[in-house]
Amino acid sequence: MRHLDRRTWLKQSSRGLSAVALTGLLAETNQADADSARDSDPLTAKHGHFPATADRVIFVYSTGGVSQVDTWDYKPQLYTDHGKKITASRWLNKPGEFERFLTKPRWAFKQYGQSGTWVSDLFPQLGSVVDDLCVLNAMVCDSDGHDKGTLAAHTGSAQFARPSHGAWVSYGLGTVNQNLPSFMVIAPQPPYSGAQVWASDFLPGCHQGTHVVPGVEPLPYLKPLVGSANLQGIELELLSAINRDHLERTSADAALEARIRSFETAFGMQAEAPEAFDLSQETDETLRLYGIDRGATQGFGWQCLVARRLAERGVRFIELIDVGSANNWDSHGDMAAHEPLAKAIDQPLAGLIRDLKRRGMLDRTLVVWTTEFGRTPFHQSVDHPGREHHNLVFSSWLAGGGIRSGIVHGKSDEHGILPVQDSVHTHDLHATMLHCLGLDHERLTYRHAGRDYRLTDVAGRVVREVLV
Amino acid sequence: MLQTTFRDAPRVIGKVICWLRFALTLCLFMTPQSAPLCAGADDDFFETRIRPLLVERCQGCHGEKKQWAGLRLDSANALQQGGENGPVVDTNSPNESELIIRVMSDDDSIRMPPPEVGAALTADNVRDLRHWIASGASWPEKSSLPTGSGLTDVERAFKEHWAFRPMEMPTVPAIKNLDRKPQAIDAFVLYKLQAAGLSFSQPADRRTLIRRATYDLTGLPPTSDEVTAFVSDQSTDAYERLIDKLLASPHYGEKWGRIWLDIARYADTKGYVYAREERFFTHASMYRDWVIKAFNDDLPYDKFVLLQLAADCVSPEQTDALAAMGFLTLGRRFLGVIPDIMDDRIDVVSRGLLGLTVGCARCHDHKYDPIPTADYYSLYGVFSNSIEREVFVPPAMGSPAADNYVNGLREREQTYHDYFETQRSEAQTRFRNRIVDYLMAQRELDKYPELTFSQIIAKAELIPGVVHRWAAFLERAEQTLDPIFAAWIAFAKLNDDEFATKSPSVMQTIQQASLTIHPRVLAAFDTPPTSAKDVADRYGKIFSTVDQAWTELCDRANKDGSPTPLELPNADDESLRKFLYQNDDSPCVIPRESMATIEWLWDTSTVEELWKKQGEIDRWVLQRPVDAPHYVALVDQNTTYEPRIFRRGNPANKGTVVPRQFLSVIAGDKRQPFQRGSGRLEMARAIVEPTNPLTARVWVNRVWQNHFGRGLVETPSDFGMRSAPPSHPELLDWLALNFIANNWSTRWLHRTMLLSNAYQQSSSETPSSGQTPDGKTSTGFQSHANEVDPENRLLWRMNPRRLTFEEMRDTMIVYADEVDWGMGGKATDAFTPIAGGRYRRSIYGQIDRQYLPTVLNVFDFANPDMHSPQRNETTVPQQALFNLNHPFVAGRARAIAGRIQQPASVNVGDRVRHLFELIYQRPPTPDQLASATEFIELQPQAMPKAPGLQRDWSYGYGSIDEANQRIKNFDKLPYSTSALWQGGAQLPDGTLGWVHIGAQTIHAGNDKDHSAIRRWTAPRSGTIRIRSSAAHEHPQGDGVRGILLSSRSGIVQSNILFNSQARFDVEQLEVQAGDTIDFVVELHETLSYEDLTWAPTITLTASAEGPEGPAGADDSTNIEWDADRDFQTDDSGVLNPWEQLAQVLIVSNECMFLD
Repeated sequence: MRHLDRRTWLKQSSRGLSAVALTGLLAETNQADADSARDSDPLTAKHGHFPATADRVIFVYSTGGVSQVDTWDYKPQLYTDHGKKITASRWLNKPGEFERFLTKPRWAFKQYGQSGTWVSDLFPQLGSVVDDLCVLNAMVCDSDGHDKGTLAAHTGSAQFARPSHGAWVSYGLGTVNQNLPSFMVIAPQPPYSGAQVWASDFLPGCHQGTHVVPGVEPLPYLKPLVGSANLQGIELELLSAINRDHLERTSADAALEARIRSFETAFGMQAEAPEAFDLSQETDETLRLYGIDRGATQGFGWQCLVARRLAERGVRFIELIDVGSANNWDSHGDMAAHEPLAKAIDQPLAGLIRDLKRRGMLDRTLVVWTTEFGRTPFHQSVDHPGREHHNLVFSSWLAGGGIRSGIVHGKSDEHGILPVQDSVHTHDLHATMLHCLGLDHERLTYRHAGRDYRLTDVAGRVVREVLV
Repeated sequence: MLQTTFRDAPRVIGKVICWLRFALTLCLFMTPQSAPLCAGADDDFFETRIRPLLVERCQGCHGEKKQWAGLRLDSANALQQGGENGPVVDTNSPNESELIIRVMSDDDSIRMPPPEVGAALTADNVRDLRHWIASGASWPEKSSLPTGSGLTDVERAFKEHWAFRPMEMPTVPAIKNLDRKPQAIDAFVLYKLQAAGLSFSQPADRRTLIRRATYDLTGLPPTSDEVTAFVSDQSTDAYERLIDKLLASPHYGEKWGRIWLDIARYADTKGYVYAREERFFTHASMYRDWVIKAFNDDLPYDKFVLLQLAADCVSPEQTDALAAMGFLTLGRRFLGVIPDIMDDRIDVVSRGLLGLTVGCARCHDHKYDPIPTADYYSLYGVFSNSIEREVFVPPAMGSPAADNYVNGLREREQTYHDYFETQRSEAQTRFRNRIVDYLMAQRELDKYPELTFSQIIAKAELIPGVVHRWAAFLERAEQTLDPIFAAWIAFAKLNDDEFATKSPSVMQTIQQASLTIHPRVLAAFDTPPTSAKDVADRYGKIFSTVDQAWTELCDRANKDGSPTPLELPNADDESLRKFLYQNDDSPCVIPRESMATIEWLWDTSTVEELWKKQGEIDRWVLQRPVDAPHYVALVDQNTTYEPRIFRRGNPANKGTVVPRQFLSVIAGDKRQPFQRGSGRLEMARAIVEPTNPLTARVWVNRVWQNHFGRGLVETPSDFGMRSAPPSHPELLDWLALNFIANNWSTRWLHRTMLLSNAYQQSSSETPSSGQTPDGKTSTGFQSHANEVDPENRLLWRMNPRRLTFEEMRDTMIVYADEVDWGMGGKATDAFTPIAGGRYRRSIYGQIDRQYLPTVLNVFDFANPDMHSPQRNETTVPQQALFNLNHPFVAGRARAIAGRIQQPASVNVGDRVRHLFELIYQRPPTPDQLASATEFIELQPQAMPKAPGLQRDWSYGYGSIDEANQRIKNFDKLPYSTSALWQGGAQLPDGTLGWVHIGAQTIHAGNDKDHSAIRRWTAPRSGTIRIRSSAAHEHPQGDGVRGILLSSRSGIVQSNILFNSQARFDVEQLEVQAGDTIDFVVELHETLSYEDLTWAPTITLTASAEGPEGPAGADDSTNIEWDADRDFQTDDSGVLNPWEQLAQVLIVSNECMFLD
C-alpha cells in the first residue's frame, strides 16, 4: 500500500481543484480566513477584566461531605469535651433545640511545615505540602442536601439549572488550546445532580464541560473510523477541498469558514487528546509521586496526573470528581469510612501540588479542593460512630495561582460547629476563583431571559485576604 | 466597530431610560433633610449639566436601587458620605477626587462607568464635573425640575414603546423600477433597501430554492427527483405549487412542531427528582403529537394558544384537546417546590407567547419594563389556583392487549387508592388531634422552613407542609371573613406582651360582631383569653368536642347496625365537623388530588410509599402497548384564593394581596380582576385578544425568524424596553394584522413569506442584474452593501443557515434510506435504531432534561430546562469529531455507500455521480468528479476482512439462576461504540445502567438482573481449555463477583474479587456444538467499581465432528479464541473509501448549510 502524506496527495489530486482552494489548503489557512473564523469562535482565548494571577483552575470535588473536624480544622477542645452535652440549633435540617453530644475525631492532628498548620493523620502527604496550601476553615453554604449542595458548589444555584463554574470560565476566557475542550471533568462515577454539574445551560453549548470517564475510552469519538490517521487526513483534504469549492461558489460566510476550520481542529484533537491521556511517557518517579502503577487507566492518581497533563496543554478548567454519588465521604454510619477515602486522594493530591510546583506551573494554576458541606461534631449519642450533614461550617483549601500559601483563613468555634471569623460562602469562593483568573464576578454576565445572569447570582465577595 | 455600536445602541438607550426613571423617582421622593454641601448660585449649572449626567451615567449603579461599593450619587447626603472608601469628591482638590480619577482612567478595571456598562464620559462631561467640584459641589435642596413631569416621561416612554403600541395597518409603499412582481412584503423591504441605495440580490437558483423551502417547511432534504422536476418545471406557478405541496406534507408538522417545542421547553423527563419518583412524564409524547397535529391541521394560532392554556375550560367535553396542556405541565419539576414551578409557567407563557420577561418581576419590579411585581403575583395566583389532574382515556376494549393494559392500570390504581385512603384517614386523625399545635406553629413559619426533602419528617411530628397550609388557610379565612376563625384572626393581631391588656377589648369587639361569628366560637370567648396559646386551646376544645360527638354518633350507628350518619344534627356542629372532615380547603383534610398537588402534606415514609405506588402506575402507563391517551391537565381549584406578593421572591416574606388579573402593560386602565375560577381562561383570552399588541407580533416574528434566519425583532422573546426596535416595524404590523385577519392561520404566514421575492433571493453577495443604483460594477456594489448593511438587516440578500441538529440527523437517515416514517408515540433514543434497524425522525428522539446527551448540547440543541427563544449556532471541534468518528454518522455513511454499490458493473465515475445526485441533488463538477474518483482509486479497495473467530463471541447481559446454575435471560447489549458494547449511547444507560463490555473490560450492571456476560459459543464439539486472569483493580467499593459458567455443566468457578486478582483456568471441558461458555460479572452488594479486567482465551484441544468449522481455519484443533484480539463492535470496523466519500459529502458544508 502506498503511504501518502497530506501534501503529496494534495499535489497529486488537487490539480482539478480551484486555485483558491489549493492556496487555502497548502497555506493551511490564510490570515483573513483565520481572522474571520476566529471572530465567530466563542472559544478564542480572551483577556479577563484585569490582569490574572492564574491561567487555569484544577477544581477537586470530594463528594459526600468531608468532615472538617477530622481533617483540616483542628479542635483540641473537641477531644477534651468528648461526650459533653450541647444544645444544637438544628438537626437534620430541622430548626429547633436539640440536645446532642460532642464526639471527638478518631484521628490525631499534627503540625506540619514552616507554617505549623495542623493537619489530621488522614492527610499525612498533604500535610507535607501544607506550606503551599491556604486552608479555609470557615466555609459555609446554604444547603445541606447532597444534590442541592453539589449544584450550588458548581453553579451558584441550588435549585435552578444554571451554567457550571467551568462553563462561565470558558465563556469568559475561551481557551488557549483549540485541540482540547476548554472545560473538562474527570469523573469515574456521576456526581450528585448528574451532568448538570458541568452543564453550560443557557451559555452556548461549546462551554459545557466535557466528561471524561477514566478507563479504556476516556473521551468518546476520538478514534478515527478509517484505517489510519493518514487515510483520514486524505479524507479531510477531500472534505476541505469540497468545502472550499462550495465556499467559493457561495458567499464568504464566517460560519462556513469556521466550520471548515473546526474539522482541522478536530483532526488535531484526535492526535492531541489521546496523547494527553497517555501516561506512558511519564517517568517511574512521576508515577510514584502520584501513587500510580504503570499502565493504570483509572484511580484518583490517574485523574490527578491527567489533570496536570491537561493543564500543561492549556485546558482552562479541569475538574476532578473524587468518587461520585455513591460510596463516597457521606459517612453517616461510621466515620471510619473516611480513612480509605482519604488514603485514596492524599498521595495523588500531594503529588499534584509537588509536581505542579517543580514544573513551575503552580504559580499560574489555581488548585481548589472542596466538598458540598462538613459533618456534625456532635451526635444523638456519644458513642455514635458517624456524623451527619453540616453546612454551617466546613473546610476547603486553595493553592497556587495567586493565593497566599501556608496560611489558614477563617475560624470556627472551639468545637467546629459555627464560624466565628472570616467565613467564606460558596459564592465568595466562586468570586475569588474568577478573580484569580482576572474576571470580575459582577461583570462576567450573560443576558438570558431578560436578565444579566452571573455565576454568583446577586452575592459573592472576593476573599482578598487570601490573595497574594 | 460599526457593528458593535449598532448592536449596543438600543441597550444603552434602554439603560438611559431606566436611569431616567430611577432619577425621576428620586426627585419625587427627595426629602427636605438632604442639605446642600454648600449653598451656592450654581443651581442652574447643577440642574442642567450635572444632575442629568449623574442620573444617566452613574445612578444606575450608584443610586436608589444599587449601591456599588456602598456609593450613592443621588443626594447631597449620599455624596457627602461617599462609598466604602470614603468621600469621592474633594472640593479642595478636584483632580484628586476619586470621582474624577475614576471617570478619567484609561484602565478598564478602574474606569467608571465600566466599559460593559457604557462608554467613557466625554471630555465635556469631565470638565463639567471638575468645575462643579471645584466650585463647591453644590447640590440644591430642591430639584428645580418640575415635579411629576418625569413620571409622565417614563409613562410616555412605555406607552410609546413600539411593542406596547396598538398595531396599525400601514400603507404598503409603492415601489418603482421593479422587474419582478412584488409581494407586499417585498414592497416594505425594498422601500428600505432603496432608501439605502440597495436592492435585492438576484433570485436564487432553482435547486437552492427547493432545498431552502423544503428544509424550512419540512426539515428534510428534497429528493433528487423532486429537484430535477422542479428545476425543469417552466410553469409560472411551479414554485407556488411546491410551497402548497410542502405545506400539505405531514412532515411540515414535524418540523414546525419542533420549533414550537423549543418555545414550550419540551422534555420527556422532569429534571432532577428524588429516586422515589418516576422521572419520566407520562404525558409528554401526547403533547408533542398534539402540537404536530395542530400544525398539520393549521389550527388557528389563537385557538392553538387558548387550548394550551385552558383546554379544560374551552372544550371540557373534548378530552383529546387536554393533550395541549402539556405546554404548562411539562416544565421542570424543581423537586416539587411550588413557587419555582409557578415561575416556570409564568415564564413560558410570558416570554413564549407575549415576548415579555415577566419572570424578572418575581423579586422586584421589572427594571426596564412596566411590569410591577404585583403583576407577576397576579399571574402567580392564576397558576397557583390551577392544579394538575391526570386524565386517562380507556382504549377500545376487547383486544387482549387493551384488556391487559386497563386491568393492570386499575390494579395499580387500586393499590395506590387503598393505601392512600388508609394513610389519609390516619393522617387526618393526627391533624385533628393537633389543631392547637398547628395553630401555634403557623405563627412561626420560619421554624418550618422551605419545603424540602432533606428533612426526615416522622408521623409524630408536625408536617411543615401542613403548617404552611394552616397559615394559607387562615389568611384566606381573614379575606373571606370566616365565622369560625374570626376570633383567632382578631386575637392574632396582638403581640405577646400586649396580649393581656388588649385582650378584653378584642373580646368585646368579637362579642359585638356576634352575628358574623360562629356561635360555638362566640361562646368560647365569653371571657378574655390570656395568651395566644389560650386562644388556640379554646379552639382545640371547640373542635375536640365536636369531633367527640361525631365519633360517638358514628360508633352508635355502627353498634346499632344503622346506616353511617352523613352529618351532625345540629347545624352549628355540622359546619365545624365539615372543617374537620370534609372541606377540601381545610388544613385538616388532605384533598384527593394528584401527588404533585399534595406531596407536601405527608410524613417522609408515607410520601415515599405513595410516590412508589404512583411510580408503579406511571411506569405501567409509560409502557402501554396500546393507544390509550393519557393527559395531565390543569384544572381550577375548587376554592380559589387571592395571591400575595412574596417580597424579594421569598415565599416566607409575604407582602400585600393582589387580585388575579392580566398584565397592566397590555390590559391598560380598563383592567378588571379575573372573575372565573383561577382566571386562567380569562388570561388565555386576554392573550389571544386581537387587540393585544404582542401575541400576533411575537408569533409572526418567530415565523419570520425561522424563515429568514433572524427576526424582524432580533430578541424574539423580549419585546420590552431593552429590545432593539424592529428592522421593519410597518412590515411587522402588516403581517400581524393580516395574520389575524386570515383567521390566525400560520399556513397563510408561511405562504406569504415564502412567496415573497425577499425569500427567494440568493444568499450570495451579488446584486440582481440591472439594479445597481449607481451603475457600479457588481463587485463594487457588493462592497457597498457590506458597508451600508454588513449585518444584512435590510435583507439585500438571503441569510444562509446551518441545518439544526434534527435536520442534520434526519438528512443522514434519509440519504441512508433508513427512516421509519411512522408518526407519534413514545420517544426513543436518537442513536439506537428501532425494530427493523430503522431510525425515527429526530423529533421523536427522547429528551431527557437531566441527562441530555452531550451530542445534543454540542450541536446547540434547545436547552429543555427553560423556554428557548432561539438556538445558538456555535461551531466547535466536537461537532466535527461527531461527524468524523461517531458510529451513528459512520453507520449512515456505510448505508449510503451500500445504496450505490448496485449493480456491480457500474464504473467508479457513475457511482460518484450517483452519490453526488443523492446527497447534493446535482451532478459533481468535472473537478469534483476527478478528485473523488482519484480519492477512490488511490486507496486500496479491500479492507482487512474480519476473521471468522469473532462471530463466536457475543456480548450481553442477564442473570444467573442460582438454583439451576444456568444463565437466564441472555440478551445482547444493544448499542456499541467503537470500543464498548453497552446499553445505549451514554453510560449509564437509562434502562440498562452501567453494564458494558470491552475488549478486556467487563462491567456489571446496576443489579443482579443486569450482570455482564461475555459469551463464547462452541462452533463445534470437542474439548476446550480456558486460560484467564481476572483482576479487580480498585480499593473503593466492595468488589464484584466473577463467574465462569458452562451451559452444559453449570457454574465452573465463582469468585468475589475486591482489589484482587483470580485465575479462571479450566484444563479440560467437553463442549457440544452450540454450547456456551459464559464469563459473567455480577454486582456484589453495592454498585461501585463493578468492573473486571478479564480477557480469556479458549483453545480447542480436541475436536469431534461438528457442523461447521471456523472460517479460514485449516487445523481443526488448536484453534485459539482470544477475547481481546477477537473483540469487535458493530462500529469498530473501519470505513472503506466509498464509505469515506459518502461521509465527506454528508458532513460537507454544502450538505449541512442552506444557501
